[in-house]
Amino acid sequence: MHPNSDPARLSKWALLVSSVLSIVFLAAAAIRENVAAEWKGVQREYKTILLAKSADAVARRRAEAFSIEIRQVTVPALKVVDRCVSCHNGIEDGRMADQSQPHRTHSQELLKWHPVAKFGCTTCHQGQGLALTFNDAKGEEAFWDYPLLPAALTEATCATCHDPRALSRGSAAKLVRGMELFDVKGCASCHKIEGKGGSLGPALDNVGLKTKHQFMRAHLSGSQTTWNWHSEHLRDPGGLVPGTKMPSVGLTAAEREALTVYILSLRKRDLPEAYLANDKIEEKYAKLHPAAPKGEALYAKYCSHCHDTGLYARWSKNFKRFIPAIRNQAFLRLEDDECLAENILEGRPGTEMPGWGPKAGGLREAEIQAIVEYLRGETKFTALPPAPARGSAERGHRLFTMNCAGCHGVGGKNGFAPALANAVFQKAATDAFIAETIRNGRGNTPMPSFGRAGLGQQEIGDLLAYIRSLAQPVRQARSYGRAPERDQVAGSEER
Amino acid sequence: MHEHRRGSRRSFLSWAAISSFCAAIGTALAGIIRLPKPAVLPGPQRIYKLGDPEQFAVGTRVKLETEQCCLFRDEQGFHAISTICTHLGCIIAVQEQGGFACPCHGSRFSESGEVVGGPAPTGLPWLEISLSVEGQLQLNAEAEVPRGTKFRA
Amino acid sequence: MADTREFIQNLKDTPRNLRASWLRLGKPPQSDRERSQATFHNFFLHLQSVRVHRNSLRFAYSLGLGLILTASFVVLTITGILLMVYYKPSTELAYNSIKDIHYVVPAGRFIRNIHRWSAHLMVFAVFLHMARVFYTGSYKKPREFNWLIGLALLVLTLALSFTGYLLPWDQLAFWAITIGANIANSPREVTDALGITRWFDMGGFQKQLLLGATYVGEEALIRFYVLHIVLLPLLCGAFMGLHFWRVRKDGGLSRDLTKDAPPASVLGRSMHVFQTSPSKTYGLMAIVRGRTPAVGRGPDGTVPSWPNLLWAYGAALMFTVAVSLGLSLLSDAPLKEMANPAIPENPAKAPWYFLGLQELVSYSAFMGGVGIPTIVLLGLALIPYLDRDPRGTGQWFGGPEGRRVAWKSALFGLASVISLLVFTVQLGWLRDWYPKIPQLMITAVNPGTVIVGIYMAWSLWVVKRTGSPRLAAIALFTCFQMGFVVLTLMGTVFRGPNWQFYWWPSQWPVH
Repeated sequence: MHPNSDPARLSKWALLVSSVLSIVFLAAAAIRENVAAEWKGVQREYKTILLAKSADAVARRRAEAFSIEIRQVTVPALKVVDRCVSCHNGIEDGRMADQSQPHRTHSQELLKWHPVAKFGCTTCHQGQGLALTFNDAKGEEAFWDYPLLPAALTEATCATCHDPRALSRGSAAKLVRGMELFDVKGCASCHKIEGKGGSLGPALDNVGLKTKHQFMRAHLSGSQTTWNWHSEHLRDPGGLVPGTKMPSVGLTAAEREALTVYILSLRKRDLPEAYLANDKIEEKYAKLHPAAPKGEALYAKYCSHCHDTGLYARWSKNFKRFIPAIRNQAFLRLEDDECLAENILEGRPGTEMPGWGPKAGGLREAEIQAIVEYLRGETKFTALPPAPARGSAERGHRLFTMNCAGCHGVGGKNGFAPALANAVFQKAATDAFIAETIRNGRGNTPMPSFGRAGLGQQEIGDLLAYIRSLAQPVRQARSYGRAPERDQVAGSEER
Repeated sequence: MHEHRRGSRRSFLSWAAISSFCAAIGTALAGIIRLPKPAVLPGPQRIYKLGDPEQFAVGTRVKLETEQCCLFRDEQGFHAISTICTHLGCIIAVQEQGGFACPCHGSRFSESGEVVGGPAPTGLPWLEISLSVEGQLQLNAEAEVPRGTKFRA
Repeated sequence: MADTREFIQNLKDTPRNLRASWLRLGKPPQSDRERSQATFHNFFLHLQSVRVHRNSLRFAYSLGLGLILTASFVVLTITGILLMVYYKPSTELAYNSIKDIHYVVPAGRFIRNIHRWSAHLMVFAVFLHMARVFYTGSYKKPREFNWLIGLALLVLTLALSFTGYLLPWDQLAFWAITIGANIANSPREVTDALGITRWFDMGGFQKQLLLGATYVGEEALIRFYVLHIVLLPLLCGAFMGLHFWRVRKDGGLSRDLTKDAPPASVLGRSMHVFQTSPSKTYGLMAIVRGRTPAVGRGPDGTVPSWPNLLWAYGAALMFTVAVSLGLSLLSDAPLKEMANPAIPENPAKAPWYFLGLQELVSYSAFMGGVGIPTIVLLGLALIPYLDRDPRGTGQWFGGPEGRRVAWKSALFGLASVISLLVFTVQLGWLRDWYPKIPQLMITAVNPGTVIVGIYMAWSLWVVKRTGSPRLAAIALFTCFQMGFVVLTLMGTVFRGPNWQFYWWPSQWPVH
């Protein structure tokens, strides 16, 4: 180092260069924030539109007074701070009906009942209300749990405060259609909502509050939103969730959209009482004081998805077994109402048939009774001829292996016909019922008549002895689990 | 000559470095100073629904606590007077015998909100009253109207 | 009447007198004496010695890292105070207040970005600074204690950064801190294996101390907030003061003392180079240990602190500012979805400087999170007391032989850690082969401890061959640096969901 050289020369250059760079960076940041801000451009544009639309001096003065500033709606009761109005300036101005977004007027009819100051924007539309750019507000690509609902799905949030069925003029028609489809397509056979429904699929309470991270999106192509997931999942469940038990229900695109709206609407929010519409309160009241149940509707909602019409035994690809024909006359003639109720109440443990009692599937006793009545229809229970005396279980075993195990499975389980080594079956079926079924078979199902095939009374007696040895009736199984409800059930049965 | 040129170059560099440094710090400070002033004020709009206009009979004179105003109805219609003292922002008392009195520094206002005593620099503002879409009386505590303006429901 | 005139005159003179009383010298100092006074009369500058050695100003020697660190601390303090104006430390409000800062606070987004980038810069610089001090042998006598203070500052810097991580209360924050807190809990891995947790629960104690609960919640947020804005900055400031003070008391930046005081004959006249003079006062102003520049031996290589050191200060400050500003303009500080204890991030990653540790933690929480860091810190603290050979101070690597050892160790360190990682990724580790192996075995023998063992063996081999503890220290330090770099890269780039190996984040499956 030459002693005459300035020891601070490098520092000076560094200072000069980095200071100049800093000024450039600061200026760039200032311009980005203050001049190039998206909302400022939108408001400037809106102002020129306002000026152009000013017919008289008063309107012109007002338009000139329109200041370029961030605007927001704060609703503390709903924990909402929405800045959407910084760009959507014209939502309350009827003159903007002919403008394109973001200047366009909001439906005035809707705003009349839902003032922006009371509800904000995201309460209905979702999206990131805090954001000030469209992309972030939309929130699909931003890190935001509840992105802006597409216009076609916005009805989903109506149900937050309303009973959609009570809304006038079909303002939530798609949502209502979705609710109907949910019942008609028998979704409740597998999915619980508010404790009512089957247990093969996950419960759907608050599924509308789930974020996209809670769904398996490995195979989801296209938009990574929950609604796209639901729509695709309804189209092809196995394509999104390999190995799922959910069958492809066969829905049109419009039906899928309606169901998606309904699924998204399944969200419980803690709302201040002032926000609950009267129809919502009535809906809650109706749930607490249910009207007389209709067996046919209940059957459609909870049973038909698996049992279909119930007139014929149905082969299920998913379950790899026959699903019993429960409205089959041959069956109903042999089984009395108590038996039917018992089967619905308890389900068939070990098969896909869940229990539907108050603590399992969530059906009330009256509802189960209504289903039984519907199943029964016109067919009367006929007194069965007495069963032959139980013979030798050992011989029965041999007979079973030769004749029955092919369908009912070795040991009466894991076959594709109804399981016999099943506690509920053992409890519900009388000897007479079993004997009669073996003897005459079951019409409209694959169960043939073994009497015609040559089994005599004694052999049936042997079979009876063997079948009875397969499992303990459910009464003995009571010591573990679900005891209290069964007491009630047993009581009703013994009455 | 050589020495001199180098010296001047050196001092020019110093000058440029120092001034750009000061300019950069100045620009940064300008940005920093802007930060504490909020770009948008928090809190909800102070627009209140007061209910059916008919529930206020002619001759009503009622102090509204949350709305921070005093609502009047007479033959000419409704008007509302802010109860926030124009002196230093205390909430003034509505007096039985008419007029308003501030408990903090003794400002006094007439029944129509004009200053009649104490340190308050201006009278109490009259607030905008209108009718909402569903036919409720609506008070906009953020908008002022000229004294004497009355709203006919 | 005369009094009135005097009063008016005084009033007129007030601006001038105010200026004179404020800037006592009045004009930029011209002579060395005035420069000394300029330093001496200013509160901030008088912490400096009046003259500074030319070597301390050499960028190629110090790389300006200490100044950059100080500057980034200043930038962080200023931007941090600004952010505090709008930040609300509560789980309900924190996330939205950050959103507000991003979207509506004037300059808020930029200032948050600067805060984040200068924090990263500070962590980056603190590692480099430590390496610089190590490789130039600047920890040697009399600077041993300052090396320890420096280590404390390293830990404080990391702690500051870590505590700041939770404050936005987003998914990133929540899960990184959950992991961090469970690392604090990891001594349980050992106490559980020994069956003594009931009596001695170090891990549980540490975790509760950190979180104030068993989970990351409101209590944790307030604790981290207090640590981040009060306790740690105060400690950091105090230790920085100590650090600077000791730098001055230990004779400025280290330099090669054998090269001091070049013969007067080769030097021309210069106002910047100290000349023997009756007005020389610096000896009194800065009593330093070590050699006193001897009068008559010619110029001693020092120059006045004013303005030379000030230029360096300004340059470091503005360099730091410019880098932070540029990065802030290019990339926003991350903010993911609001924290949701029901939805874990996969992979949940800590900030980058902890990802090396997280890689180790993936082998054994205790060893990776507590054991090895303790060993490393202890080792670092012992260096100045084990290597007491004063030769080579002030030279990079202490000379050509050290440079060679450093190169070799870098290659060795890289090769061994990379091959160990390849082995682990390809073939797994003990539990994959013997599923029933006791946890204590894994704690003791895992890729982390193995690599530490390999590095120690290498260093022992170097000391055996060369007989120089200095070279052994260089070997060990270099190896650990390489291990740190590779493990950090591994954790940052090559680990994806479920901590699986991926060549690049774009290959991560959507989950």
